[in-house]
Amino acid sequence: MSTLLSDEQRTTLVDLLRAAFPHDRFPVGPYRRTASAVVDAAAANPRLHALLLQGLDDLDTQREVGFSTLDAETAQLVLRGIADTPFFLAVLDVAVVALYDDHEVWEILGYEGPSYDKGGYIDRGFDDLDWLPDPRIESWIDGDVTSNEGASA
Amino acid sequence: MTRFEYDDSDVIVVVGSGAGGGTLANELCQRGFKTVVLEAGPHLTGPDYENDEWKAFAQMAWTDPRTASGSWEIARDFPNLPAWIVKAVGGTSTHWAGACPRFKPHELAARSVYGPLEGTTLLDWPITLSELAPYYDRAELKMGVTHRHGRPPLPANNNYKVFANGAEKIGYRDYATGPYATNAEPFDGRPASIQDGFNFQGDKHGSKWSTLVAELPKAERTGNLDLRPDSHVAQILHDADGRASGVLYVDRNGTMRRQRAAVVCVAGNSIETARLLLLSSSARFPDGLANSSGQVGRNYMRHTTATVWGQFDKPVRMYRGETMAGVIADESRLDTDRGFVGGYYMETISLGPAFFAKFVAPGSWGTSLAEIVDGYLNTAGMWIVGEDMPQETNRITLSRDTVDANGLPVADVHFDDHPNDVAMRRHGRQQGTAVYDSVGATRTIQTLPYPSTHNLGTARMSSRPRDGVVDRFGRAHDVPNLFVSDGSVFTTGAAANPTLTIVALAIRQADYIATEFRSAAR
Repeated sequence: MSTLLSDEQRTTLVDLLRAAFPHDRFPVGPYRRTASAVVDAAAANPRLHALLLQGLDDLDTQREVGFSTLDAETAQLVLRGIADTPFFLAVLDVAVVALYDDHEVWEILGYEGPSYDKGGYIDRGFDDLDWLPDPRIESWIDGDVTSNEGASA
Repeated sequence: MTRFEYDDSDVIVVVGSGAGGGTLANELCQRGFKTVVLEAGPHLTGPDYENDEWKAFAQMAWTDPRTASGSWEIARDFPNLPAWIVKAVGGTSTHWAGACPRFKPHELAARSVYGPLEGTTLLDWPITLSELAPYYDRAELKMGVTHRHGRPPLPANNNYKVFANGAEKIGYRDYATGPYATNAEPFDGRPASIQDGFNFQGDKHGSKWSTLVAELPKAERTGNLDLRPDSHVAQILHDADGRASGVLYVDRNGTMRRQRAAVVCVAGNSIETARLLLLSSSARFPDGLANSSGQVGRNYMRHTTATVWGQFDKPVRMYRGETMAGVIADESRLDTDRGFVGGYYMETISLGPAFFAKFVAPGSWGTSLAEIVDGYLNTAGMWIVGEDMPQETNRITLSRDTVDANGLPVADVHFDDHPNDVAMRRHGRQQGTAVYDSVGATRTIQTLPYPSTHNLGTARMSSRPRDGVVDRFGRAHDVPNLFVSDGSVFTTGAAANPTLTIVALAIRQADYIATEFRSAAR
């Protein structure tokens, strides 16, 4: 899709996302794909497009060096400073959906995604938690609905 | 596929095909009534459903515009999504989880038991539990509810193991994997659950009761059902005597149709039901149909809710298995010593990483969000759902400036928490945290309410016409052949998840319509 973002701005966007969602275990791939999702959304939304172009340029003027060269702690501080801007909020809005919907991210977090085609979890560990005892599944009042309601009336 | 004529004025029109409308339609078809069901959404079925949260949301959710106002966090965090309900055949019964508690006797007499509470419009239901009990039985039998009428319970999944062990540790007694309207073993021609973990996305397997898989197919087989998906009702019409005479709706091609009717039943879920009544104003009913009391749209309730997450140093994998097959009922008791009236349930809940990250702390980012999401694998979750207080100013109105694709003003959903709601939510969070702490949580997280999944009370039942919109059978006080057939009729909200009660009331309403409108039967 058509974008006016420069390669440098796209790199800044990836670094912004890494600072905004700092997961040591995530490689750069999911952040790059999330940046693409933001850019794609901007291509269909002129307001977001404008916010992005201006906002990424502004981000680089926050310190004497560009945002991408800041250490992690300073990058966090810079983001905190712009946290309420329409630019940052608009990026967050798209990014939080795209990043955590990324299947590589799911795998890292330990989520297995679609399960129906694999037969669900009935034979694949829906009850494999073994660090607590098996609790009862019947209620102490089961089979006597009336006494349940009577007890609480 | 049965088709009735647009000018057939003997049909009963049911607007909406969810728990209320879909059940009512089947019950009417079984009794020989020609029934036209107008469903605004598409006819999705199991193979269409996505095992993917955002794709499923895009496919099923009612995403037509709405607005939100008031002091609730939803108006700030999700201003165009005050409710999370379904727009498809089967309605919200296709994405409900399945929890099936009954109301308790005192919850049908909230005004008498709780007393006059400042700022509320509490009222007793015009029905008692003993009147409702036989219909609860019929609803539970129909839905195959576990733990009831000899139906076996679902097994414990991982999320439940954490939840139930915590419950036991802090002294709760009334916990179980149900009652829950999903098959633990084959029932009613539908298979047992394969614990695939997808409930809010539509159940591909058909183990969960919904009107899509249980009621509408049975109605179809009678030859009395004319189901029309993609049909958005714009107006309920009335004749010179003030009786409902039919509806105007926009069909899938954008063509306006007029379906005549002997009886009109509205079951669009509380927000859309109130909106349709308000939209159906005329010279005779200038404030909207069935609204001489001014109560249409008022007393909107959405349950007092919250979510508590516990994170542990070992895996939980809460996403495996039936999402809400875990209920603690101890806090649903009547006990005003806790600092609030009404009670609440605690129920297991799970979200995938996509929704978890979006909803766990709306708007958050940085290390605080990242640390929470990093603990996803080791997270257990519970939902708090309790009785909220009806208030006159919590209401659905027609937007003055926002319209939908058909030019119809959209619903504005205005909501402010009552102090009782705030006190209950605080208590629920504290107790939920105690449950997880007792089994070794290393971190607990308290999440704000989601966009409303339980929407209630906007056309409430009342004995006196001036206090509500419909009578004890859901018949409009003002219009003798107009019925409301969904959670809108709830006089007060009770703590229980509403679907079972909606189904029970729909069966009861069908009995009543069959008696009162016998001549309309085939």
